[in-house]
Amino acid sequence: MSQADMTSSTISWEGGVSPFGMSWQKLMMWVFLVTDALLFAGFLASYLFIRLANGTWPDQGDVFNMPLIGLMTFILITSSATMATAVGSAHRGNLKSAIRFVSYTALGGAIFLGLQATEWTQIIHEGARLSSNPWGPSAFSSFFFMITGFHGTHVLIGVGILITTALRARAGKATSEGVELVGLYWHFVDLIWVFIFTTFYLI
Amino acid sequence: MEETVSYRVYWMIWVVLLVLTLIMIGIESLSLSTGMGILVLSTAMMIKATLIAGWFMHLKYETRFIMLTLVLATLLTTAFLVFLLIPDGIAAHRMMEYPR
Repeated sequence: MSQADMTSSTISWEGGVSPFGMSWQKLMMWVFLVTDALLFAGFLASYLFIRLANGTWPDQGDVFNMPLIGLMTFILITSSATMATAVGSAHRGNLKSAIRFVSYTALGGAIFLGLQATEWTQIIHEGARLSSNPWGPSAFSSFFFMITGFHGTHVLIGVGILITTALRARAGKATSEGVELVGLYWHFVDLIWVFIFTTFYLI
Repeated sequence: MEETVSYRVYWMIWVVLLVLTLIMIGIESLSLSTGMGILVLSTAMMIKATLIAGWFMHLKYETRFIMLTLVLATLLTTAFLVFLLIPDGIAAHRMMEYPR
């Protein structure tokens, strides 16, 4: 390539060494989150299909303990705010505050899991199983266990990552970008809950 | 893209998210039509999702290219899935209700 060609390609490129304006780690986290979001989109779209195909569907207000679901939502939203504060602290170089808020977030996640275990226990005691339930179409409980179970698994993994991050930060091994990546994952878990909460519990 | 957002912004968003959640739960007690209920809940859901992705996940502060790539990829594929399956679900229900 001649010098003139190289100059021309440099001018038309304009992306520099970082065309997305972010590190590859962060970009790959976003790619992962998009693929994971599409997995949940598939779950919720198939849920809508089955619900429409069945015609009748249990009234969620009669089945679920809505104050408990509301509390779970409150806890998850609050943990997202504490996570955002942790990321902000990490970017400002305030490691002590970042560790504190990452720990609060992990605590929020653990409380959410405890409440979800309570919800599952109540539903199972009322007779819900993977393939049957006392309220109507068997698909109702199948989707309930699949969608909330899959989301709960994400929360469980998130709590593990948060605890690891807090411990690594305490040992001086965590970077501000590392905290930010964990934050992206945790907010994603909250984001998915927004869709599950609306489509599965309310609509 | 590195941009430090004020803590106050995060906690204001937290308040808005909680208020929207309360409104969504409260909608149940109002006697809205099914269509109107779905419209209100879906709008509140999308506002909450935008606040979380835009501010908590800092997508608002990323380059326009990455923001559009991520948002359009997710939204278009989701819309494709949902709008492809909704008519199929209705058709499947009719077939079960009125079998040949």
